[in-house]
Amino acid sequence: MKDIEYNEAGQFCSGHNACAGCAEALSMRVILNAVGKNTVGVVVPSCVAIIVGAHPRSSAKIPFIHGLLESAAAMASGVKRGLVSQGKDDTTVLCLAGDGGTYDIGLQALSSAAERNEDILYVCFDNEGYMNTGGQTSSSTPLAASTGSSPLGKTTRKKNLVEILAAHRIPYIATASPSHLSDLSEKVTKAKAIRGMKVIIVVIPCLPGWGIADDAAVKVSRLAVESGVFPLIEVEDGLRYSINSADKTKPIDEYLDLQKRYRHISDSERVELQQDVDDSWDRLVARTKM
Amino acid sequence: MNAPIRNENLQLLNGNHAVAWGVRLASPDVAPLYPITPQTPILEKLIDFKSADLLGTEILTPESEHSAMAAAVAASATGARVFSATSSQGLLLMHELLHYAAGSRLPIVLFNVNRTPAAPWGFWPDQIDSLSQRDTGWVQLYSETPQESLDTVIQAFRIAEASELPVMVNHDAFYVSHAVEPVSVPDQGAVELYLPKVDRSMWLDTDIGRAIGAPIGQDGWNRTRREMDAAMQTIVGLTKDAGKAWGEMSGRPYAPLELYRCDDAEVVFVTMGSMAGTAREAVDRLRESGVAAGLVKVRLFRPMPMADLHAALADIPCALVLDRNYSPGVGGVLHQELMAGFYGAENAPRIFGFLTGVGGTNVPVEMLEKLAVDYRQAKQNNNPIWVE
Amino acid sequence: MNSQPSTLWTHLSSETNHTGTWRSALPLYQNQPSPCHGACPVGGSIATWIKQVKDGDHYEAWLTLVDNNPFPAIAGRICHHPCETACNRAEHDETVGICSLERFVGDLALREGWSFPSPDVELSQSVAVIGGGPAGLSAAYQLRRQGLQVTLFEAREALGGLMRYGIPSYRLSPDILDGEVARITAMGIDLRLNAEVMDEKALTALHKDFDAVFLATGASLPKELPGLDYSQSFVLDSAAFLADEPEAQSSQTGEHILVIGGGSAALDVARTARRLGRKVTVLTLESEGHLPAQQVELDEASEEGIEFITGAMMQSAVGKDGSVTVHATKVDFQIGNAPGGFTAAPVAGSEFTIEVNTIIPAIGQDADLARWNGILNTSGPVINISGAHGKTSQPGIFAGGDVASMSRFVTQAIGMGKEAALGIVATLVDDADVVAPSQEPEVLLDRINTAYHVNHGRNTQGLAEVASRLETFDEVQQPLAPAQAQSEAERCFSCGTCTLCDNCFYYCPDVAIIKLEDGYEIKTDYCKGCGLCVAECPTGSIHMQEDIAS
Repeated sequence: MKDIEYNEAGQFCSGHNACAGCAEALSMRVILNAVGKNTVGVVVPSCVAIIVGAHPRSSAKIPFIHGLLESAAAMASGVKRGLVSQGKDDTTVLCLAGDGGTYDIGLQALSSAAERNEDILYVCFDNEGYMNTGGQTSSSTPLAASTGSSPLGKTTRKKNLVEILAAHRIPYIATASPSHLSDLSEKVTKAKAIRGMKVIIVVIPCLPGWGIADDAAVKVSRLAVESGVFPLIEVEDGLRYSINSADKTKPIDEYLDLQKRYRHISDSERVELQQDVDDSWDRLVARTKM
Repeated sequence: MNAPIRNENLQLLNGNHAVAWGVRLASPDVAPLYPITPQTPILEKLIDFKSADLLGTEILTPESEHSAMAAAVAASATGARVFSATSSQGLLLMHELLHYAAGSRLPIVLFNVNRTPAAPWGFWPDQIDSLSQRDTGWVQLYSETPQESLDTVIQAFRIAEASELPVMVNHDAFYVSHAVEPVSVPDQGAVELYLPKVDRSMWLDTDIGRAIGAPIGQDGWNRTRREMDAAMQTIVGLTKDAGKAWGEMSGRPYAPLELYRCDDAEVVFVTMGSMAGTAREAVDRLRESGVAAGLVKVRLFRPMPMADLHAALADIPCALVLDRNYSPGVGGVLHQELMAGFYGAENAPRIFGFLTGVGGTNVPVEMLEKLAVDYRQAKQNNNPIWVE
Repeated sequence: MNSQPSTLWTHLSSETNHTGTWRSALPLYQNQPSPCHGACPVGGSIATWIKQVKDGDHYEAWLTLVDNNPFPAIAGRICHHPCETACNRAEHDETVGICSLERFVGDLALREGWSFPSPDVELSQSVAVIGGGPAGLSAAYQLRRQGLQVTLFEAREALGGLMRYGIPSYRLSPDILDGEVARITAMGIDLRLNAEVMDEKALTALHKDFDAVFLATGASLPKELPGLDYSQSFVLDSAAFLADEPEAQSSQTGEHILVIGGGSAALDVARTARRLGRKVTVLTLESEGHLPAQQVELDEASEEGIEFITGAMMQSAVGKDGSVTVHATKVDFQIGNAPGGFTAAPVAGSEFTIEVNTIIPAIGQDADLARWNGILNTSGPVINISGAHGKTSQPGIFAGGDVASMSRFVTQAIGMGKEAALGIVATLVDDADVVAPSQEPEVLLDRINTAYHVNHGRNTQGLAEVASRLETFDEVQQPLAPAQAQSEAERCFSCGTCTLCDNCFYYCPDVAIIKLEDGYEIKTDYCKGCGLCVAECPTGSIHMQEDIAS
């Protein structure tokens, strides 16, 4: 049997306000435990800010600053510089944001921090839309998915953030999934040991936003990986791509069929989506061979 | 308390370089900076100091003022002493963060070079950029000269750290920022004694995992504003203490208001920033010509030292407020502040509001002399008056 | 300074927020039966002992196995393994090789000389077990484990019954049989060999002398094929043939042997005959695909060069000068609605003949019930028993195995022996600790999260080369190597049996599961009832139960 295991050191607490079955809370648990005690967190408006908690409570054992939506990477930079200026060079700075705060409004600050190669670990919880505001389209929303602001399905593709970041030549970029918790934990641990800018993008199937059952977030994220919709990869120095999940083994159908946001698509759209996933996978594989 | 400065070093400095010197002496831990005319010489001078190993500050230069202030906020939350500088559009871009910094009670010092905001584009002295930030919760100080800018930026850290409120110091574009004058640069050791590092009440502490800025209920949010109000109540006193202590150290004392020849005055100018220099000249000329004129220079704009203003204008029948700013639909901001502050007061002076030098237009001494002569006995008129 | 309540800074842990109030259902850890367990004739705790193999606890695995069956090495070789038919893994890739694993553990126990512990207490109650075959030995074993005094009557000179006299040694080596039987007799059983209980009088006497009697005399009377003259010298009785030594088998048979029947016994006869160097043809009434023998037996028989004529019926056999002309016809074989029922109408014009030298019909055996006339009620060909524990119409007399069942499987007999023993213990011993079988529903595939079970084909046992097989009576099936056994054990889904894999612990978004030494505890203050632990359980040993009280 495949085992999962990660360091559980009590850094994330019960009683948080995530929805029952939330994969983001689950990922938070893994990340906070992997990153450890000597860490300062930055969190910007998103579900993850709700999970860290409303005053007077916090679900994290590390300190957090609840920052501004477009400022995640800038604030993380500020925290790092503040710590360094006071001799706390060894403290990790962990920045948590959603895809809206990363792909959209926060991209400018993210690009800047990446270009400066700030020594921060930036984690994007990518639920492919503005889910904390009830489910609207972001530039991470994939083609054909319906949201509150694209009820007939989004007509453009998901932005490829990995390639954008790779173009900045930062030391480490990775994708991760709550279905692969050991992998997530290892990636956080690996990223933490690297000096400079690290970005980990975690796919988060949003229960209400994607229209999936309370107990299905892990299953859906596993299918996202296995169907090649969300491959688990690492990119080092923006150049060296590697795929860390098994090969794409499944068609996208089961992945799509578990979600309400794809319920409206036609058979021909389904074929196009499959083609798109196949093409992206081929391009990714080609990159790993460069 | 503080030892007098033994070896004041007189240098020819423009206003922005004087600010950079003040910052160097205050030794902030972190300074996020983004270039903008006419602030840029502050940034460049600080980076010169840093490059020459004369400054230990962590300087970061992000892609925007928004990120600069975001980084400032975050760095300050770690307990670091933080400085930033900007102007006009940059300040306006920071607007969201200004609320955030004050709401988080972070003692950041921001230097703003007052400049016209677009549109249309302009690069001229005008204070509407900072005055339109008056509701963000920042303490605002206005400086008239390069020397005052150097002195004030150091005092600003002391006020900020004592109150845990952010402080914005302003001087006018070009008239101060780029004007060169001999500036007395205090001794580093003396400034360290004046501005010791103090522990903050709370910071991002890995030993105690507490979060700042977390979502809060209505009562809690309300309480944060009451607490800010209480902190604001201390600012006039802190500003006085800071100015007095600075005076004891340097021989250059400061106060929230600077009164010039106000004794027995029948008419006084009330203004902020570089306009005070022109008004001082006008006062001297008016006195020479037999008009009992005076000047009230407002250094501390937020919070407005209203009790001090009441005291200063107690026996003065006429106050002419000179605003180098225009709040559309209202008029001059300082004028409105005074009108509001004196509403219902007994023996309040007649208060006139003049829109002088809006957009950086030249305000000659003669123009002010004429205003004093024309208005010292005029009937109260609440409407703003554009001055050609 | 940095620890005071503050309007701006949080100062409490989220643990002060009891999210357990959100929930409407709570996970319940509950081991539930696996389909293999439900199908197992001895009610074996299969998921448990395979888990023990997986963990390297081979001795523990053996102890678990012998709770229900004292013959793991034998069952691992010859069981018809309905467990594997029921195995949830079939739909994932292939069923788990439960038998081969059982053999692995059983063989290891024999090699290591592991013996059964003595009973905790010696009781005075006595039981007569009549018949030393699988049912009788199983009952004797279970009774001794509970401390009862057992006297075992066996008509023949050695124990084992069908296992000794009906199963050829290339399927079950006599060493294995001897080893597993000796382990039982070593528990202290009063053995009476060559002691046939002939009739109802003898049974009545035993009934009086002992507190209970278990009757397991098997099925020893051959069924007869209509149209065949059993007095002819070219006709041999299959049971007698299998029980004989090779020399005797050889001397009685001609060059070409026709075996009639499609069950295991027929194949045992056929394959034995092949090992004597004979040409062998098997004639079965059942059409291809419907033969009652196990597929593996059919495959191995074909490999060994045995010819099959399926869906055919012998009509007459005429012997002349050492050869026999068999007249047969093809039939239209149809499975009927009742279990085991069928029709087989001759197909007109399909008649054919084959020339052979010997005919060995092997179409089954019946129990000799006439002996018990007047004392035990019978139901058709078997003694009437009621309930799970083999109670006959006569209080104090229990029955099991082929005398009480038509199923004709060794492990079925072992299971009946065990159940009867438990029934006897429950009857004779006050406050006996007899565990009732679980009434919980079986864990089916929909409750297994197969994502945690990497696709991996079955580790198959090796087979001896065909050429060498035909020269000896050595075992055909070769045991799994230890690494293969480990790999095979790891393929087990452990349906319904928690393996302490910690998935539930690690997948809880609410950190609401505590690991204990031997299980888990839900922190009910925090569990929101999402069900992720259930969804990600690889064994189906957690389920959600309604919980609206909170």
